[in-house]
Amino acid sequence: MNFDLSPEHQRIRAEVRRFAEQEIAPRARHVDETGEFPAETFRKMAELGLMGLPFPEEYGGAGADSISTAIAIEEIARACGSTALTYAAHLGLGCAPIAMFGTEEQKRRFLRPAAEGRFLGAFALTEPHAGSDAGATRTTARLENGEWVINGSKMWITNASIAGYLIVTAVTDPGERHSISSIIVPAGTPGMSFGKPEAKMGLRGSITNAVTFENVRVPEENLLGRRGRGLQQFLAVLDGGRIGIGAMAIGLAQAAFEIASAYARERTAFGKLIGAFESVSNMIADMAVGLEAARLLVYQAAWLKDQGRQYSREAAIAKLYASEVGEKICRDAIQVLGGYGYSSEYPLERIYRDQRLLTIGEGTSEILRVVIGRQILGEFVGR
Amino acid sequence: MHIVVCMKQVPRDNSVKINADLSINADGIEQIMNLFDEYAVEEALQWNEKLGGKVTVLSIGPEDWKEQIRRALAMGATDSLLLSDPAFTNLDTLGAARVAAAAIKKLGDVDLVLGGRNSTDDETGAFAPALARLLGWTQLTYVGKIVSLESGKIVAERHLEEVVETVEASLPAVVTVVKGINEPRYPSLLRIRKVAKVEIPTWSAADLGLSAADLTPALKLVNRVPPPPRPKGEIIEGKDAAEKVKKLVDKLIEAQVI
Ligand SMILES: Cc1cc2nc3c(=O)[nH]c(=O)nc-3n(C[C@H](O)[C@H](O)[C@H](O)COP(=O)(O)OP(=O)(O)OC[C@H]3O[C@@H](n4cnc5c(N)ncnc54)[C@H](O)[C@@H]3O)c2cc1C
Ligand SMILES: Cc1cc2nc3c(=O)[nH]c(=O)nc-3n(C[C@H](O)[C@H](O)[C@H](O)COP(=O)(O)OP(=O)(O)OC[C@H]3O[C@@H](n4cnc5c(N)ncnc54)[C@H](O)[C@@H]3O)c2cc1C
Repeated sequence: MNFDLSPEHQRIRAEVRRFAEQEIAPRARHVDETGEFPAETFRKMAELGLMGLPFPEEYGGAGADSISTAIAIEEIARACGSTALTYAAHLGLGCAPIAMFGTEEQKRRFLRPAAEGRFLGAFALTEPHAGSDAGATRTTARLENGEWVINGSKMWITNASIAGYLIVTAVTDPGERHSISSIIVPAGTPGMSFGKPEAKMGLRGSITNAVTFENVRVPEENLLGRRGRGLQQFLAVLDGGRIGIGAMAIGLAQAAFEIASAYARERTAFGKLIGAFESVSNMIADMAVGLEAARLLVYQAAWLKDQGRQYSREAAIAKLYASEVGEKICRDAIQVLGGYGYSSEYPLERIYRDQRLLTIGEGTSEILRVVIGRQILGEFVGR
Repeated sequence: MHIVVCMKQVPRDNSVKINADLSINADGIEQIMNLFDEYAVEEALQWNEKLGGKVTVLSIGPEDWKEQIRRALAMGATDSLLLSDPAFTNLDTLGAARVAAAAIKKLGDVDLVLGGRNSTDDETGAFAPALARLLGWTQLTYVGKIVSLESGKIVAERHLEEVVETVEASLPAVVTVVKGINEPRYPSLLRIRKVAKVEIPTWSAADLGLSAADLTPALKLVNRVPPPPRPKGEIIEGKDAAEKVKKLVDKLIEAQVI
């Protein structure tokens, strides 16, 4: 048993933290207020090699492991939630499926430039009528003269309108249940159009769009992985993505924790530092406990993934716990700051709003409990 | 062109404690590359990209300074050298310059030595001038721009408080740089991974042919205390902004600030 991060993990943390403090954090407020995509930040992230961090060097990546990747997402989230979501979705949803299931040619054409940061990737699974129940996908793709013809609509797609390509899930063999496949659609393909960026409670600088497909045609070889295996594929993709969302939760919670603990050492009420009141120090203590536990769970899931072992259950546990405890930590941090915590002059209310997504995206808390419950009790859970 | 960058590892902030034996206790404080040295590394890399050759980062310090040497390698330095010996523990600035001078002579083919204008911990600003003196090379301090660099010659701007001087000197030379000469790059994460296993050559006092006399400090530390706390500020009272401003201006004139 060894809980130490390796020297490489520590170096990656130090470097990404430094970068995030200097380049990302100063823009976080602007990004939230304007909903502007921080393009310049992503150009610099590409220079650092962040955009392809976990992918092999031959495909433009830095060949780092899953723990390093979780640490990078965590450090970026500590500085700016919007930037972290854009980044985590790019890596975990946009790029990972191609790294996992792509052909050599697909990796060369799509993964490599995405990993080099020349464009972002996006993954379009959710539909207006199919969120948690992704098996209810209505978008269709039929094969016609060597081309997939795609029709339907998608909802809540991170990075969609600014991505170089979208991985789209669609029913390819109607009639058969779960006959879903993934197809890569390059940006600019005729018939694909985007709704204007969704106005959201938080993560406002992360672009989310609805996408419509009207007779969108792509070559047959844009099928990603095997035909009809889309459901199994995206379940595997989401396992990895959940580590990313867990890491994001820790990063945001860490930022909130740091602000609250600093404040508890400075603010006086009734002639004492507020940290001297047990109800305040208890909140700070609970934050530290939640944060440590969440971090261990997230790193454990990442470690299992790096060992090539099963990690689906651990990723679900880590994401569920980190996102829920993270929300509580942000809530308590606001409490510690009193009226100032509620004010937009301080970053806490933004962090709280940003954190709120994390019990929803990439598996709601309820769905994750179903997944975990089934692993323990059996398939009848939730049926 | 062979450029050597003298680089020091320092605590990130100066909230250090002072041990009973007057040594500095920086436990728990993150160690970073001296701010000004980062500019020196970047400058060396940029000229290396134009001219080719080698960039060697050189540090005098204990084993754990390899961490920042690796960072410089990840930024793009081609070579590294750690000068490490228990006998180097209590070097003063002149002693450190002797150690570096011996190493640079031993390297033999060095055209240019770059360093920061000072370290952010000891802040003597005397290391590079002492090094230049010991090597018998020209020194150019406070350089804010290297205008040109070619075999045998350097033209540089010295950014002083009131003037900018353009100076020309023949190589080899020792140059110290100021903040703002460039924008230091972030090391790429791929290179961070790649340089993790690079063997960093380490030379001891014996390798450099240095005797105990060379390393005996000329300066003895007699005492070390934190600076006195800043005097308290003063809040200017007044019935409105205009009155407060007037009082403030009077006080500033009185204090001969304006
Ligand atoms: C900012 C943002 C970014 C997103 N990015 C992407 C993206 O890049 N790609 C993508 O494909 N999608 C994305 N999504 C969609 C996201 O994954 C879905 O919102 C999520 O899966 C939930 O689906 P839904 O919104 O349709 O909610 P629903 O599935 O309709 O759920 C509504 C409620 O019912 C509960 N519920 C549903 N089924 C069950 C059940 N079986 N048992 C118990 N409770 C249940 C849910 O937990 C929830 O509380 C994003 C969403 C947001 C808000
Ligand atoms: C939107 C908004 C509207 C408001 N409107 C009004 C208004 O109309 N009129 C008005 O007068 N004020 C108003 N306020 C101020 C509000 O009443 C204060 O924010 C509130 O009383 C808390 O005070 P504080 O923010 O200074 O926090 P602090 O008193 O500094 O508290 C900070 C933290 O320390 C804790 N704490 C402090 N003392 C103790 C103790 N003895 N034991 C245990 N814990 C302690 C608190 O519970 C909190 O968690 C408003 C605030 C907001 C945000």
